[in-house]
Amino acid sequence: MAVSGVAKQPSSESFDLTLKGDRALARYSLGVASKFDVPTVVMLCVSVITGYLVLPPLYSVVQTSLFTTKLTGEIDQFTLRYYEDLFRELQVLGPFLNTFYFSVGSAVFATLLGGSIAWIVVRTDSPLRGLGYFTAFASFGTPFILYTIGWLLLLGRAGPVNYWLKIWFDQAGPVINVYSMFGMILIESLLWSPFVFLMLAAAFRSMDPSLEEASAACGARVWQTMRRISLRLMLPAFFSVMLLIFIRTFESFEIPALVGLPGDIRVLTTSIYLDAQKLPPRYGSAGAFSVLLMVVVAATLYFYFRMTREGDRYQTVTGKGYRPTVIRLGRWRYLAGAGLVTYSVVLLVLPFLIILWASVLPFYMQPGIEGLTKLTLKNYVAALHFPKVTDAIKNSVLLGLGSASFVMALTLLASWLLVRTKIRGRWLLDLMTTLPLLFPGIVMGLAILRFYLFVPIPVYGTLWILLIAFVTRYIPYGIRYTHSGLLQLHKELEEASYVAGASWFSSMRRIILPLMTPSFLGGWIFIFLLSAKELSMSVLLVSPQTPVVSVAIFELWENAQVGELAAFGVIWTVILVTVAIVYYAFARRYGIQQN
Amino acid sequence: MVARNRDMPTIVALLTAWVLSAGVASAATVEEIALMNRADRQKILVEGAKKEGKVSWYTTLIVDQVVRPVKEAFEKEYPFIQMEYFRGNSERIVQKMLAEYQAKRYDVDIIDGTVSPTMVRRTGYLQRYYSPMLAEYPAELKDPQGFWGTTNLYFFATGYNTRMVKPTEVPKTYEDLLHPRWKGQMMWSTSCGSGAPIFVGTILNTMGAEAGKAYLQKLKAQNIAKSTASNRQVLDLTIAGEYPLALQMFNHHAFISKSAGAPVDWQPHEPVTATIHTVALAKNSPHPHAAMLLLDFVMSEKGQRVYQQANYLPSHPKVPAKQADLKPGPRFKRVYYINPDAQYDKGNEWVDYFNNVFLK
Repeated sequence: MAVSGVAKQPSSESFDLTLKGDRALARYSLGVASKFDVPTVVMLCVSVITGYLVLPPLYSVVQTSLFTTKLTGEIDQFTLRYYEDLFRELQVLGPFLNTFYFSVGSAVFATLLGGSIAWIVVRTDSPLRGLGYFTAFASFGTPFILYTIGWLLLLGRAGPVNYWLKIWFDQAGPVINVYSMFGMILIESLLWSPFVFLMLAAAFRSMDPSLEEASAACGARVWQTMRRISLRLMLPAFFSVMLLIFIRTFESFEIPALVGLPGDIRVLTTSIYLDAQKLPPRYGSAGAFSVLLMVVVAATLYFYFRMTREGDRYQTVTGKGYRPTVIRLGRWRYLAGAGLVTYSVVLLVLPFLIILWASVLPFYMQPGIEGLTKLTLKNYVAALHFPKVTDAIKNSVLLGLGSASFVMALTLLASWLLVRTKIRGRWLLDLMTTLPLLFPGIVMGLAILRFYLFVPIPVYGTLWILLIAFVTRYIPYGIRYTHSGLLQLHKELEEASYVAGASWFSSMRRIILPLMTPSFLGGWIFIFLLSAKELSMSVLLVSPQTPVVSVAIFELWENAQVGELAAFGVIWTVILVTVAIVYYAFARRYGIQQN
Repeated sequence: MVARNRDMPTIVALLTAWVLSAGVASAATVEEIALMNRADRQKILVEGAKKEGKVSWYTTLIVDQVVRPVKEAFEKEYPFIQMEYFRGNSERIVQKMLAEYQAKRYDVDIIDGTVSPTMVRRTGYLQRYYSPMLAEYPAELKDPQGFWGTTNLYFFATGYNTRMVKPTEVPKTYEDLLHPRWKGQMMWSTSCGSGAPIFVGTILNTMGAEAGKAYLQKLKAQNIAKSTASNRQVLDLTIAGEYPLALQMFNHHAFISKSAGAPVDWQPHEPVTATIHTVALAKNSPHPHAAMLLLDFVMSEKGQRVYQQANYLPSHPKVPAKQADLKPGPRFKRVYYINPDAQYDKGNEWVDYFNNVFLK
């Protein structure tokens, strides 16, 4: 593969290329006099680490898609069968169109929703702005399966929403059918909107107010300014977010399976899953599907890269006081506040309440008086007796801290290379850092499992193997956060630092890192929460000595009753929300989160 | 290495001891221990297990409900053995074991599941074994070649919400499921190990291919809602009132919920589908003596009572279920036991048939 070639020899390429195009950044000193300039060294380190993490699973995914396997899992014969199957599947218009509508719908709706909330929270004087952050963190902390179940119970045929709507509209049957495309898009977008919020909030906060002020000075109304200035400046961030959600939704399986399938709405992933549900398990079709996606995404990224090549246009954080002005909404601020409350209720309170409700019942009943007579804590007792529950919580928290810190550090450097330097072929680094997004979790889990069984690095059966897997999996998210954050940072700030004689390292530490804090921390907490939920790789990589929470939840989901699952979920959500609140308080105190 | 002269005797003694102990251990291969059938078998196993000190079990059983009680009971019986377990679904534990075997890492002694032992058997990584307990089991509950025994059984039935369906209206037979009243009112799981494909298999095998296919075509017209959720979750949706009927449910799940007061009950359709939870020995079991003691234990009447108390349905003919009517008896008699080898060989056809008929 072309990608592997680059990863092995980025240095030779960058030696002769020493930043010809970028005179201002031409020479940095590492403190130690050396003939290596900083970008080369950084590129070398980042590429080697990223390549080490990403290439083995990439190889494995491609291999899975091209070879049959023996019963033992060994590679057998070359075949194009999986691709033929896939193209046959693609020709069936139904699933393909469904997938398309589902991903576009979710990407658009989630971006609109999360974007509006981010704008209200960061840029306006609406009351209750803190609620936006709290909601985003808390709902993101809710384990995924639980969240979906909560929504199904709420919107189901016998659920409270349909119950009230039936009375309201005087209908006999259910009014809303959640097992539909509408239901899928709704739940998927709600699920992703905190991600949009966290990412766009970071971007909104680093917006250059001078352009908006100029617009206002020219007599433009708030709305005009927003449309013609603010939103355009935000283009890379919007694009990043939508691309990510589009891809994730395109390849997502859980919502289509749990929400779409009962209503006979099939997407590509459900078709592939149902066809591949065989003995012995075959991952060829899943592999072929992700290879195809990789090609599509590589093309998209290439264009994205060309688009943001003239990145200067989007640099909004300059040496001039860049803190964006707060837009005064006047009377509208109450409406904005009401919007925040509604968002919070819909995204967080309703599903959490129904899960809380399920957790205190001996068996699931629709909310009502009858249930109140049967309240019990036995599900909590059962959940707390779950084997090694404290170890699981400890391990999950450790993994979250480790993977979030490592990913953000690595991707900050990678983004710096992508945005600030002109090293040729750096779009391949961009591609490499985006690829893990496309690996099917189970194939990636297997790849990592096999790799460390064979390579004599003793991480098999320890927490380290999980850390390696998580870091690899979440590099793409880190890169989106740091990349759009760095794009907004005007390079003259850095240049000023070099001119003043600072070394590369101290410029990084004293200029870039502080200015990048919002997106850096946004990404950090995001990855922390995400890794707390990771499942598809963890189920393979955990050992009896290294239990993690998400696997425990999955076991409950597969085997236990809704009540026990809900009780465990409530406990875990409370823990994650506590972490988020502590983080938030900390961030506020040190003035890095809020204005 | 610099060894002073005065250390030499110690080193020699240690080396001799090591050679001797290695000699003793290698005297019996895993195969010899597994197939041993002699009067002092128990004594040899206990002595060997004392040296091994532990046993490792890859299981699909639920830790909280049954694995821990089994571990406690087994460790009480043999205090010198520590039982370790790794829990996952069939696919995961098989993948884990196969990946380890390819890397020549032999961690696992015992593997269980409805089809996982068969999946491993086909790769040649299982060891046949002899256990005196096997004699107490009927032919359909053990492998003729000795690759697996069984610990517990699963019987499938239709679960129904008792507030939405009166006991008199409940569909009693497979034919009753075709009544127009149930159109759009049923749900089942797509799980290949315990959901709709198993139902398809039972119908095709018990009604015969022609009649079976005709029946399934009619059933398709009933628009049964499908979910990738597990059987347990589908039953919970029925309890919540989403769908009045849940096809192909574990009867003990319905019983457990009913005992908790939930508006749910189960109705068998004869012949009732049953799957078998098998238990097998890994080819290169690192603790073969302890593994054989564990296999003996879980299939013995004493071990089977642990399964019974955990609300599982013991395989042993003499050990009834805690709630007796969950096993064949007055409530249902005719049972179609799905042999794990048949499930492995035919399972893909059932999945394909299900996909082609019910998903298009």
